Amino acid sequence: MQRETKTESVAPSKRDVVDVRRRGASQWAVAWRRFKRNKAGLAGFFIILFYFFIALTSPWLAPYPPRSFQALYEGEAGQPPSWKHPFGTSRAGLDVYSEVLHGTRGDLYVGVGATLVSIAIGMIIGALAGYSRGTGSDILLMLSQVFYTIPLLPLILLFARVFSVLVAKGFGLTLILILLGVFGWSTISFIVRGEILRVRELDFVQASRALGASRWQIIFRHIIPNILTPVIVTATLLIAGNILTEVVISFLGFGDVNTSTWGITIEEGITYMRTEWWTPVFPGLATLFAVLGFNLVGDGLSDALNPRLRD
Amino acid sequence: MAGMTTYIIRRLLFMIPVFLGVSILTFVISNAAGDPIALIRQGLRSVPPEVLEALRAYYHIDKPLYVRYLYWLWNILHFDLGRSISGTPVIDKMGAWVLTTLELQIPALILAVIIGIPIGVYSAQHQYSKSDVLITSFALFGYSMPTFWLGLMMIIVFSLHLGWLPHGGAAGIIRIWWGSEFADRIAHLIMPLLVLTYVQLATFVRLMRGNMLQVLREDYVLASRACGLKERTVIYKHALRNAITPIVTILGLSFGSSLAGAPALETAFNWPGLGYQFVVATFSLDIPMIVGITVVITIMLMVASLLTDLIYAMLDPRVRLG
Repeated sequence: MQRETKTESVAPSKRDVVDVRRRGASQWAVAWRRFKRNKAGLAGFFIILFYFFIALTSPWLAPYPPRSFQALYEGEAGQPPSWKHPFGTSRAGLDVYSEVLHGTRGDLYVGVGATLVSIAIGMIIGALAGYSRGTGSDILLMLSQVFYTIPLLPLILLFARVFSVLVAKGFGLTLILILLGVFGWSTISFIVRGEILRVRELDFVQASRALGASRWQIIFRHIIPNILTPVIVTATLLIAGNILTEVVISFLGFGDVNTSTWGITIEEGITYMRTEWWTPVFPGLATLFAVLGFNLVGDGLSDALNPRLRD
Repeated sequence: MAGMTTYIIRRLLFMIPVFLGVSILTFVISNAAGDPIALIRQGLRSVPPEVLEALRAYYHIDKPLYVRYLYWLWNILHFDLGRSISGTPVIDKMGAWVLTTLELQIPALILAVIIGIPIGVYSAQHQYSKSDVLITSFALFGYSMPTFWLGLMMIIVFSLHLGWLPHGGAAGIIRIWWGSEFADRIAHLIMPLLVLTYVQLATFVRLMRGNMLQVLREDYVLASRACGLKERTVIYKHALRNAITPIVTILGLSFGSSLAGAPALETAFNWPGLGYQFVVATFSLDIPMIVGITVVITIMLMVASLLTDLIYAMLDPRVRLG
């Protein structure tokens, strides 16, 4: 209680004082408060929540199972949007509404999963590059730069094609997830390395080292909290990019034919898109808004977590 | 300029590991798909033994993979990328495909820069106004757009329904659009160009707006305003110069990402450039062609990023000295 009155006299603006009284202002509470003020970021947050809700509930929400051509047998293939088929049906008999719902699950799985793989690899390589000195550090930095420069999409397409020849079935979306993750870690590793080099030279870290803090104490108390914020921002934007790439991969026909994704539905709608426009339109819109949501949250987070922009 | 020379040398040396990395990766993985000769024999009814023997010798099939890679590397130093499954030398095709791809990429990049910079500056000048909100959301949509899908939507509207523009390809085959051959090429270029420009424009507008906002907060802008300089002079003569430098770095990056993304857009428009041909070659597992196209794309990326870095180093001495 005493502490709060103290803060009141120090606090620069009225709003901060009110907030401090309500709860102890941890780093995350402050960030969330700043994030909430950003309307666009908040909109993105709700878009993402909506998509995750659909991804979790799609088996119950969707009227048809994934990759089901049942509408063909009901004599309703190639029909425009109606009450029974809100997004219409494709010429082959797919219910586009069900496919979009099931695709949400597949695409979020790839987008989020690949990002987690990238974070794991990028953290390890970035940390090693930041902590080692001399040749080892140079080699790791060069490795990151090679992965940053190479044309990712062509290589991923090639890997996906070759794996589909070698391992005919059963790999599916997880293969795409692993490929995207393994190729996409370079930005994360740059950030981690840069932050380590910056943070370990800061005065207070030097001071705690001088006071006898061990290497691990410094890593957990100082380095990780500092790395976390830029990594979270990059990861959010990376999810958006991974979803886009996954849609491109399955659109080009290099994805998994047995799983519903937005890209594959677009691809299957191309042939008759003049008359049956609904087949490519709705999965594309789903992609657009999913990517938009993650981009909005990424931008909002980078504003909220960036201490230099604090007013 | 001693610093500049060492910078260029260092930068050129960096290209070697990138090139080796990409070529080894592509070479190994595409050869993992199967025996190149077995792939060629697919679809042929009978192959005479002497032809088979010649193919074996040509691909050095009895040697281990790394020896084959070294042979390939030796050939590429003599501008020989091998022969595709169909028998034509890969290098013969490359020139035309690279030009077709650049015909789309370069005008899009130029248009995006020319349009994007003024819009970004305007948006920053009028921060939080209605037009700023409009521009920012317009850019955000472009940033989040699946490029190929936007292309498909435009094809549905403008060519399949309205019939104003051709729906794919780089030149008319059955029908020549708008009279002359040149006009026909323009007609085919318009839609893919618009799509690509919009998507790249978004990046430049966002970046330019952000840079400009940051620069406008600087003390020297305040000082020049306090000196009574005209707002136009402050913005265009003093602020813009500093805000525009980071754009140069994005130039190469943006070109690179749009080149790497070319397979999707070019397939949507049947645009016979490198990306489209890469998809075709990958589907038919045409190993020399796959490796050839990947290497050419990588070289283009490296040249673009080299040029960008050099221009940046000329503009900003901290880069070449640091």
